[in-house]
This record gives sequence, C-alpha cells and structure tokens, in this order.
Amino acid sequence: MTPVFTGRRTIAITAFVLVAVAITLLAMMTEHASAQGSPFGGPRPGPSTLPASGIAGWILAKQSEFYRQFSGLIRAAKSDGSAALSLMGLSFLYGIFHAAGPGHGKAVISSYLVANGETWRRGVALSFASALLQAIVAVALVGIAAALLNLTASRMNTAVNAIESVSYALIVAVGLRLMWVKGRAFVVALRCAREPASEVGAAVTHRCDHHHHHDDYHAHSHAADRRCEGAHSHHSHECDHASAWGHAHAPEPKELAGPGGWRRGLSAIVAVGLRPCSGAILVLVFALAQGLFWVGVGSAFMMGLGTFLTVAAIATIAVGASTWAKHIATARSGFGMLAMRGVEVAAASLITGFGVLLLGGYVASERMIGF
Amino acid sequence: MTTSRRCVLLTAIACACAATTEPAIAHPHVWVTMKSEIVYAPDGSVKAVRHAWQFDDLFSAFATQGLDATKKGEFTRQELAPLAQVNVDSLKEFDYFTFATADGKKVPFVEPVGYYLNYDPKQTVLTLHFTLPFKDPVIAKDLRIDVYDQTWFVDFGFAKNTPVTLVGAPAACKLSVVRPAQMDSTMMLRLNQLPADAQVDPSMFLGNQFANKIGVKCP
Repeated sequence: MTPVFTGRRTIAITAFVLVAVAITLLAMMTEHASAQGSPFGGPRPGPSTLPASGIAGWILAKQSEFYRQFSGLIRAAKSDGSAALSLMGLSFLYGIFHAAGPGHGKAVISSYLVANGETWRRGVALSFASALLQAIVAVALVGIAAALLNLTASRMNTAVNAIESVSYALIVAVGLRLMWVKGRAFVVALRCAREPASEVGAAVTHRCDHHHHHDDYHAHSHAADRRCEGAHSHHSHECDHASAWGHAHAPEPKELAGPGGWRRGLSAIVAVGLRPCSGAILVLVFALAQGLFWVGVGSAFMMGLGTFLTVAAIATIAVGASTWAKHIATARSGFGMLAMRGVEVAAASLITGFGVLLLGGYVASERMIGF
Repeated sequence: MTTSRRCVLLTAIACACAATTEPAIAHPHVWVTMKSEIVYAPDGSVKAVRHAWQFDDLFSAFATQGLDATKKGEFTRQELAPLAQVNVDSLKEFDYFTFATADGKKVPFVEPVGYYLNYDPKQTVLTLHFTLPFKDPVIAKDLRIDVYDQTWFVDFGFAKNTPVTLVGAPAACKLSVVRPAQMDSTMMLRLNQLPADAQVDPSMFLGNQFANKIGVKCP
C-alpha cells in the first residue's frame, strides 16, 4: 500500500511529526540538562537527575546491596559450590531490580508495543529476546575482548561505546519508522473525525465507517477492500491504511511465532538488547580475573532472566492499558479513533526522542566507568 | 463512555508511557573507601587535602584488566602510572568530588599533584593517592570539606579507622568527621514520605547532607 499523498496531507504530516519531536525533545531536555563525562576516565555521559519516587530509591538501594555481594561470592565460589548457587540467585534478583530501575530498554519496548498495537504475547517474546541478547553481548564482549585478546578496560569501553551508538541509532530508526506509519494513520483519523459534515461523497464515508471493525483487526483488510471497491483510486489507499489500524506491518496474531513475526520485532530487539549492562561486564571481568569466567557467564544469564521478568511485566501492563483504551475508543469512531492514533504517534515520538537524546549523550541509560 | 472520560484515560496512558522513559541514575558502580589528610603550613594555614581512595575489588579488576605487569597479578606504581593520569584528568570535571568552605565561603582547589596508584595484590584493590592543593593557603576558624558524588555513581565512604588526620595543624584545632547517613535507613524513610510523582531535588537526599564531612575548628 503506497499511498499517494496530496500536497496538503504531506505538509500536515510533516508539521505533525515536527511538533511531536519538538515537544518530546523539549520535555526531556528541560529535565536533563547537560552531558557529563565519567569520573575515573572514559567518555560515558551520565544524567545528574535522580529517580523521582521512593520506590526508585528503594530499588537502587536493593541493587547496590546485591551488587556489593557479587565479588565476595565469586571469590568464595572457588572453593565452595554453594557460593556459586547463591551468586546465581542474587544475580537473578539483581536483574529484576536492575530492569525496574533506570534504563531505556523497558521504555523503548513498552512504547514500541503501544505504538504498534502489539499483543501481550509479543510483548513477552520481545522482552525475552532482548534480555537474552543483552546477556549474550556481555558474555561475548568480555569473552572476546578480555579473555581472548586481553584488551584493556579502555579498549573495552571503546567497544561498548560503539555498540551503544549503534543501539541508540537503531532506536531512532525504529522510532522514526513508527512515527511515519503512525503519523499517516493519525492524519487519516483526523480527516475522519471531522469528515461526515464537511465532506461530501460516498467514497469518503466508506473511508471512515469501517473503523467499527477494528476489534478484529485482521478481518479489516477484507472488509475494507469490499467496502472500498467502489471508491476512487486515491480514496481506496486511504481505506487500506486507515483500516490497518496503522500497524507498521499489519500483524496477524497467528503469525506470532512465524518467521515473519520474529523479523518484525527484530529491530526493536536488537535496538534494546545490543547494549550490554555495565554491571554484567564488571562481574564478568572480575570473574575472569579470579579464574572463574564460567561463574560470571552464569551470573550474566541469570541477570538477563531477571531483567526479562521485569521488562515483560511492564510491557504487559503497557499492552493491557493500551488494549483497554482501544477497546473503549473502538466503541465510537471519530474522536476516540483520533485519540488512539494520537497515543500511538506519541509513543512512536517518545521512542525517537529517547533515541536522539541517548545518541546525543543528553541522557545515559547507564554510565560506563572507564579508562 | 463520554468523550471527556476517554480523554482522561488516554492522557493517563500517555503519561504512563512518558513516565517509563524517565531516565534516572543507576546504582553506584564504584565504591571508594577513603582516608584523607589535611595538610598545614608552618604558619597555621591549610595548604592541601591529601586523599587516598581505595576502590572496590570489582572496579579494580575492571580497571586493571589487560594492563601489562611484569609479575602476574601484581602491578607496580610505574605500571599503573598511565592509569593514575587518566583518573586524575577525568576527576577534574567532577571537582575531584571534594568541596571546601572556609568560614562559610567556598574555597577553590587547583589541579592535583603527587598522584599515583597502588595495587594491593592480596585484596586485589587499587588505591588512588593524590594531593589537592588549595588555590591560596586557607586560614579559617571553621574549615569544612565535603566529599561526595551527587549523582551517586561513585559511593564514597570513610575508612573505619582514622579516616582523617591533621598534618601539622596548630594544637588547638579540633577535627570532626561525620559519615553520611545510610541509604537503606534514613534516606529510604525520606524517600518514602515523598509523593510518588514528586520530582526530587538531588540535594534532598543525595546532596551534601549525605556527604562525608570533615570539619576543623580552630580558635
């Protein structure tokens, strides 16, 4: 479906996208002013703001409590197998708390799911895949850079920074793509919201009235096609993508596990999972120095498992809220539809804005200490 | 459902999405156990603060990863010299995490001298030594030196025994050392009293109230 845009529409979309980006950036910049280096060397910027609530503070306290025990347990694991088990358990808890704390992963995944109208199961699958990838990247990085090549911390930082930039650029790309798709859908909803009185013609009515069908959003394409058969050619485009609920790739829940389904979320998985967690890298390097690399590997994967649980829970809440809202919005077309489109565009803009800020060093998900 | 209620709902979701993107700090990734000396000139003025910062073992392992050492598992001062240089250079941006006031007025430091790193092979930890001279010698009845990282990336704590020593101070000067409040008790209580959506000013709980405080009072 390649829509033919009229000039006015293109302008409207462009304007909307620009406004959305500007608002997102402004909102974020005012809170997170300047970039900073890392205290003992290394280029990583760090935010100077602190978590906004008591829960966040508690989460941080818990994380450090767990983190502080890692080195002792790794040392003890040399002679005591139960210490290794404790380390695994603690790493798992650390992962749960770590993901609940700061970090862009869950934000990007949640926004992605909301923007794309994804299902709960896909949310869980995306969370799992990205957490797994994160652990794999950490193990691969330390395994290759430190264990095999014996590179210094500063070289490893360079590698992490490169990986990080790619990951942030991908977030921007994912966000922009969604903004494009959602922006178009928004414009259609905008027209539909004010259409019945202002415009004349049966084709126009067709364009909007099948919104009542999107509860079951795979039926739409057939229903919509039939409804729009008689429409003028450029109207039928609009029918197409209005009915597609603005999905980036018209998801079919049945295809979830299929190859197409995975490819669809791949960009989001990689964007989020590529950046390894600093804590995991430190634990892996320490374990390596202690001659117990495998213990570090186990710990990294347990952290990943914990991270997955938290991100999946947050993603589930995001999807649940958005599905509920859609259900309500579906009850009536027009404003409800427009608002839903708006939320999706907002979520897509958030991804983009977040990626831009991460890339520009205005915020950091996690500072990497380095030399 | 009315339009306005729907509107509220959607706004709430939008806010929820925005909230998840709220970037925040991570837990500390470096722990420092410090011992400090306040160095006096013969005329009774304060010349400098001399720090010895011992890093935690996780961070020390990361920092020494891949460094050349003639003896495996040990690093000499010379072998660690480039690392010490990087440390000191990058600490500049953070004002060396050391903030001094003399009788209530801020007093500036100049760039550090005599810096080096030591490695303790038994504990596998690094200690960074450096001397931070005051720009001008300080004469004050009430000298205060706070050490903290307000972003809490580095967690500073005084050593258990004799964390601060006065070197060559006039006999009448009295030293006091205040350790920061513990994150898990006082701070959490404060945090939990805040409304969930409050924007917390860092100084409310991680600012200099939670700093490691050195005070010297001279008559």
